[in-house]
Amino acid sequence: MQEILSNLALGFSVAASPVNLGLCLVGALVGTLVGVLPGIGTIATVAMLLPITFGLPPVGALIMLAGIYYGAQYGGSTTSILVNIPGEAGSVVTALDGHAMAKKGRAGPALAIAAIGSFFAGCVATVLIALLGAPLTKLALAFGPAEYFSLMVLGLIFAVVLAKGSVLKAIAMIVLGLLLSMVGSDIETGASRMAFNIPELADGLGFATVAMGLFGFAEIIRNLDAGSATNRDLVQDKVTGLMPTAKDLKESAPAIVRGTALGSILGILPGGGAVIASFAAYTLEKKISKNPRSFGHGNIRGVAGPESANNAAAQTSFIPLLTLGIPPNAVMALMVGAMTIHGIIPGPQVMQKQPELVWGMIASMWLGNLMLLIINLPLVGIWVRLLRVPYRLMFPSIVVFCAIGIYSVNNAPTDVVLAGIFGLLGYWLIKHDFEPAPLLLGMVLGPLMEENLRRAMLIARGDASVYFWRCVQPAGQRLPSGDIAALTFGDYAKGCISPMLLLLSFVLIVIAILPSIRSKRDEVFVEES
Amino acid sequence: MTDATGPSPGKSGLLSFIKSPQDFFGGLALMAIAAFAYWASSDLQGMRGFTFGPGTAPRLFSALLFFLGGGIAITGLLTDGPSLQKYGVRGPFFVSLAILAFAIMIRPLGLVVTAFLSFMIAAMGSDETKWVEAAIVGACLTLFCSLLFPYALGLPLQLWPRFLIQ
Amino acid sequence: MTILKNFAAAVLVGGAALAGATVAQAQDYPTRQITMIVPFAAGGPTDVVARLVGEQMSKTLGQPIIIENVVGAGGTTGATRAARAANDGYTIIMGHMGTHAASQALYPKLAYDPRSDFEPIALINGAAIVVLAKKDFPPKNLKEFVEYVKKNESSVNQAHAGVGAVSYITCGLLNGVIGINPVGVPFQGTGPAMNALVGGQVDYMCDQITNVVGQVKAGTIKAYAIATPERNASLPDVPTTTEAGLPGYQTTAWNALFAPKGTPPALVAKLNAAAAKALDDEKVIARMKDLGNDIPKPEMRTPAALGNLVKDEVDKWKKFLKPVG
Repeated sequence: MQEILSNLALGFSVAASPVNLGLCLVGALVGTLVGVLPGIGTIATVAMLLPITFGLPPVGALIMLAGIYYGAQYGGSTTSILVNIPGEAGSVVTALDGHAMAKKGRAGPALAIAAIGSFFAGCVATVLIALLGAPLTKLALAFGPAEYFSLMVLGLIFAVVLAKGSVLKAIAMIVLGLLLSMVGSDIETGASRMAFNIPELADGLGFATVAMGLFGFAEIIRNLDAGSATNRDLVQDKVTGLMPTAKDLKESAPAIVRGTALGSILGILPGGGAVIASFAAYTLEKKISKNPRSFGHGNIRGVAGPESANNAAAQTSFIPLLTLGIPPNAVMALMVGAMTIHGIIPGPQVMQKQPELVWGMIASMWLGNLMLLIINLPLVGIWVRLLRVPYRLMFPSIVVFCAIGIYSVNNAPTDVVLAGIFGLLGYWLIKHDFEPAPLLLGMVLGPLMEENLRRAMLIARGDASVYFWRCVQPAGQRLPSGDIAALTFGDYAKGCISPMLLLLSFVLIVIAILPSIRSKRDEVFVEES
Repeated sequence: MTDATGPSPGKSGLLSFIKSPQDFFGGLALMAIAAFAYWASSDLQGMRGFTFGPGTAPRLFSALLFFLGGGIAITGLLTDGPSLQKYGVRGPFFVSLAILAFAIMIRPLGLVVTAFLSFMIAAMGSDETKWVEAAIVGACLTLFCSLLFPYALGLPLQLWPRFLIQ
Repeated sequence: MTILKNFAAAVLVGGAALAGATVAQAQDYPTRQITMIVPFAAGGPTDVVARLVGEQMSKTLGQPIIIENVVGAGGTTGATRAARAANDGYTIIMGHMGTHAASQALYPKLAYDPRSDFEPIALINGAAIVVLAKKDFPPKNLKEFVEYVKKNESSVNQAHAGVGAVSYITCGLLNGVIGINPVGVPFQGTGPAMNALVGGQVDYMCDQITNVVGQVKAGTIKAYAIATPERNASLPDVPTTTEAGLPGYQTTAWNALFAPKGTPPALVAKLNAAAAKALDDEKVIARMKDLGNDIPKPEMRTPAALGNLVKDEVDKWKKFLKPVG
């Protein structure tokens, strides 16, 4: 404990220096901007700003880059709530209830609760990194292909729960998303799959391309339909209170705590845990709610839970980077690039050899979250006012912003055309009452699930049952030495992660399907009587 | 988008035995997509010894989607549901045109010309548009984008048409 | 006849004017920003080198060099775009062993040939390749490793960061030299592959030194040998493959600058001079050393030397790598 306090003191002394505070603020501001602009990805921005950081001291450079990363998490929820355009996988869920709230004139409370939830999650996750960063690393290493596959299956089950309507339709959308995710080169053999020799498809469909199309463009096209003009004006007149009421806060508080807990754990897993954090939180909130039907129609818990989980995961995903030197995602890979450019070799020894760097970053995360809260709460008023801009001027602007955003990801005009095609597809989906959110989740989790399944099967030489027997194997067979005494509880638990996750998936799908069967029967009975 | 003229609830058309046209045609379309995906991945290698080949998963999920689509279509036949909704023409056309125009123009003509023209084309998609107002806002947006993306965010976007630079 | 003569004269004059323009162009060049395509993600080893050298080159050339990351298909997407770009000296590419050599062996239907569709500018750097294994992998040194993987060919797992990645190519060579064909477990990039190696889910891997120094020094994985003629200052305790008994395994991950075919030689010379000067810059040398990179000797920095290197490498990889679907 003494050591942690002294470490934190060191961290704050580094992070609170005027230069580093300034860099943290710059990073947070740029991140917010990037997050708010639809399509402009965090990866692209961090990449562009990387050369600027060459001239900075390494700690300052990393503080700024980290600021952009979590700043973008705050900003991204703004766009999801206001105009229903999720900039990344984590914001898809926020868009569901956040935008529904905005349509009811409650954009202000939605934005505010997202900021408050994110701040709380950021604080807890920062403390968690400081206290338990090193031991938690073991969890990251215990997850192999079989565990990730099971986790992704669980994630896909969450997607079913996301759906407002028919379970069958939701599953169909997930499968469509899975199919879309398979476009591009096969990871194991390099074979081109369903890419039709289009070079831009060789690496698959980008998330931004599909999300902008299905959410951004499709929403615009639908809003242009005759008759929807009056609905939009209604929204603009309805705007009430900017800040959440006491009732809102009371309702959201437990959701924020649960979201933070889930997000913190999932964020540690470098192979895509952070992706499903917000989905998991949403599913949890919907399942334990007394009124699950209100989800998707503007339930504030549907914003508070996922947003907290998202931000907590964004913070704890730094753990593998800081303790192992292994980047869990593309933005962190850029930070590793920044470290190497400054002559710091990322690895497990960074924490001992460069304590001021690691602890300075951790302390700056907390300061950055505080700054973001202070920046974002007053901004709520400005954002809500933005909703009063007449839609006839708003929609062409969104089209242009989205187009620039998509183009900037790979500098590829084809991506913009593809997004347009997905816009039309999304319009068609809306007309047939198919929901785009499960599709997007299927697309995000698809590659993770398929790749990990294939990895697991490769390593097990096709006999996937080893992953199940491993859990109940006699203890003596587990260690080459047969030294049973050396076995710890962790060794037992490790083998059981994937069967447990799959079991949980099974239970969840049963829970998801049962009520829908029951309600169908209810409807039938109603009709008969 | 040809199925825009489907039967509405009251109408006794040729397809009136379909209880939920929205689901029925949606399911059929998914089956078509699935069949297309199956065809597109049919030339890929299947199981490679003890593990999946590149073609295994796409074909597996195409088949699954085909059956799910079939299930949705059958549900649409048997249970009551909403009729098909009407599709707009003007909105989708001009928004798509604006996106296409952006993709074609951005490399040769640069951001300034492209952003403004795309804005104006998209604006044509609504009958509420007032032209003078749209032109002014379009110009302001173009200026804002030209400052924001290349300068503030440092993205490698070319501002002016290529022939002017050379 | 006179018409023909006039026409000939016109062609000659026109040609001379064009030639004059080229000369003038070469003297003024560059008059605007140059785009350097990096066919890999920002922050990766090639990108870091490109940004480092690009910054210095732009100081010499007096115009900014903009890095454009065009990722996809093991870097061949970006290389294809560069091969089709205008050959006016304003588009160049930072290619590497994969895009400009091994891709020829891996993708038979590739849209470009690195030997004939590019003008070589200069070799920029080489990063040593290290043979790595998980911490508790039984073999203690490279000799034991070779014996072990030969004996357990059917049960060992080799990790790589995707088809066409440096780790895929260089371990393909290692397996070829040893004479085995083990199961290759693909990962989406070097980070996840390293995570699996540290976590003990896979047995061995090959990767460039930049990515592995931290883990090797911390003892979370072990390094058997380094595939260069000399030991590397970043990992002084790791023997070379020659010392460790596998002299046939020699390879480095190199990066080099190329221009599209037909870029005027005068412009290539200017770019070459700027690149060579950048490699003599103290800051660049220091950073490259931090990264574990070798800077080519002056005689290796000429366009001709790079052209020869590409030819040799293409032949070498064609011998050891099988085409993929």
